[in-house]
Amino acid sequence: MWVFFAKHPRLGIIFTALLPFLATLAALAIGAVMLILLGADPVEAYSALVEGAFGSQNALADTLVKATPLLLVALGICIAFRGGVINIGGEGQLVVGAVSATLVGLSFPDAPGWLLIPLALASGFLAGAVWGGIPGALKAYFNVNEILSTIMMNQIAVQGMNFLLRGLMIDPVQLEAASRIPQTARLAEAFDLPRLVPTRLHLGTGLAIIAAVLVFIFLWRTTVGYRIRAVGLNPKASRYAGIHVPRHIVLALLLSGAFAGLAGAVQVYGVHHRMFTDGSATGFTGSAGFNGIVVALFGQLHPLGAIPASFLFGALLVGANKLQRAMQVPSAFIIALNGLVVVFVVASDIWRRRWARQRVSETPEEVQSPKEAKVGV
Amino acid sequence: MNNSELVQTLASILLASAPLMIAVCGEIITERSGIVNLSLDGTMLMAAMTAFVVGLKADNIWVGLLAAMAVGALFAFIVAFGSIRLRQSMFAIGFVLTLLGDDLSAFLGQNYTRIPGPVVKHFAIPVLKDIPILGPIFFDQDAVVYFAFLLVGLTWLLLFRTQPGLRLRSAGERPEAAFARGVDVNRVRYLYAVLGGALVGIAGAAYSLDIKIGWSDGHTRGLGWIALAIVIFGGWSPVRGAVGAILFGATKALATFLQRTFPEVSVVAFNSLPWLLMIGVLLLVSSEVSERLIAIAPRAAQRPLRRMLRVSPPRALGATFVEERTS
Repeated sequence: MWVFFAKHPRLGIIFTALLPFLATLAALAIGAVMLILLGADPVEAYSALVEGAFGSQNALADTLVKATPLLLVALGICIAFRGGVINIGGEGQLVVGAVSATLVGLSFPDAPGWLLIPLALASGFLAGAVWGGIPGALKAYFNVNEILSTIMMNQIAVQGMNFLLRGLMIDPVQLEAASRIPQTARLAEAFDLPRLVPTRLHLGTGLAIIAAVLVFIFLWRTTVGYRIRAVGLNPKASRYAGIHVPRHIVLALLLSGAFAGLAGAVQVYGVHHRMFTDGSATGFTGSAGFNGIVVALFGQLHPLGAIPASFLFGALLVGANKLQRAMQVPSAFIIALNGLVVVFVVASDIWRRRWARQRVSETPEEVQSPKEAKVGV
Repeated sequence: MNNSELVQTLASILLASAPLMIAVCGEIITERSGIVNLSLDGTMLMAAMTAFVVGLKADNIWVGLLAAMAVGALFAFIVAFGSIRLRQSMFAIGFVLTLLGDDLSAFLGQNYTRIPGPVVKHFAIPVLKDIPILGPIFFDQDAVVYFAFLLVGLTWLLLFRTQPGLRLRSAGERPEAAFARGVDVNRVRYLYAVLGGALVGIAGAAYSLDIKIGWSDGHTRGLGWIALAIVIFGGWSPVRGAVGAILFGATKALATFLQRTFPEVSVVAFNSLPWLLMIGVLLLVSSEVSERLIAIAPRAAQRPLRRMLRVSPPRALGATFVEERTS
């Protein structure tokens, strides 16, 4: 097959661009087999999925709403991976961002919305930055492996969230009730992000897309962004070129955490209007902190590529929910389907790069992509 | 806390850390050969689920254990194949497998949650169990504990006292040199990645069949990451790794104990304690911090201290080895 594309490079480029979508289709095909085994009609099931994701104005809006936190997290992941560091702490950063934004909203219930919303989003951004910056500093100055430290930070964030939501921040109504559901009071309605009525689409989606463009400009059109990428590609050469390597490692992880934190704040003000917990991080985040990594990989670690990637993932999440309700298949099937898509997309990326390498096989030295850059464990 | 209570606590700490010791040994073997299997958390979930379900269906613990080993080996093989043959980032593959293992175990095990199943029987070693204090702690235990200690010893022997162990370490330290000496580096890496993965599978099975009997969604979630951190803390040495695993078990026991003693202090502080400690430990072993601490110590103590505190990963850890083409 590669020989064919080597003769027709233009077809090859089109094929490469379509590869993630083909991979998704392949995953859905395996999902169809699983559906048959579960005794459901795959054609009917998948039309429910498409219908649920794109079928109506509301469905499309829901897809975009679902895509928003994924996109924001993915932007952060792009910065981190381009800087040669791996950030697996998206969940924790998202949680601290959401908690701090909620705190701001609860503290000033009488403030005007135009003032409070930006303030709250900024506080989420900053809290995420701190939560990402700590592993960054540990990595840059003490050589502590960032994969492990970000995981630890996730756990600590979840503990902190559970503590606050069961104690200080709990809804006074819940405090009276016997159930004591760990959630905060609903934030003042003046603080809701503007919505495109009658759908659930909120301003956060627009913000995320603007953020994607800004991250692209930052990484490819500014000096600091260039330095982060240089450090990611070759820290040694960067150091000889006079770049302060540790500082840029911290910056990459800090910004990465900041965007995850912003995602948390947007979820609170745009979707839930309160903070709640089920004891784990997933209850609030819906695993956006992890799925964002996959979205970033899907988008080839490019901020603009992350936009369609997050849209596709949002569609899958929303559509799969509809599928589950319509077909009465176990909810674990949806989880497995998502897992399959993730694996296939990453695998297709592997094939794409393999092919790209074969095209340039005359040059012996491989160019290391930042993802492959050696990580000191 | 009186004497027998203390003995009981110590015994339960050992029991709780035994599966971690097994997983740590497995991952040490894998990483010493140069491959990082980041999928530990997902592997253990899948293995725990498989061991329980297969064990239940076959009504035989051993069949369940074998199935768990096969699952662990398969996950490790995917990581090795992806990095060696497809030359992809083993971190990315491992991470995706973590997510997949989490999801897939929830899906496949959904009909088997919270039901009774086969259990590893308690097995006290005769004679030895009657030694005062030590007996009840070490020899009045489940088979998992004995296996864990045996495995630590065997891993150490394999790594540092046998020729295959030397080849294994050379593949992780200087693959080029090993290759020049006639070691088939990538074959060695496949072999020990799969072996290590199978051990991680045993660790997962130890949870669902013995320590935390049964299956529930996310049964062992988080423990794989702990094991990965302990591997680093242990400086890629099985003995130190075992100490790390026991220390972690002890911290958790301490957290529960403190919580009972000081109910007015927040639960959060104690629940976060193991994680904060892990970060502290990683900080201590992997940086100039340790070097500065050593410098304070008296000169005579500096060398042993340095040996104790400083660790360095296998030199070629996480780097793909490409054979030079003879053309």
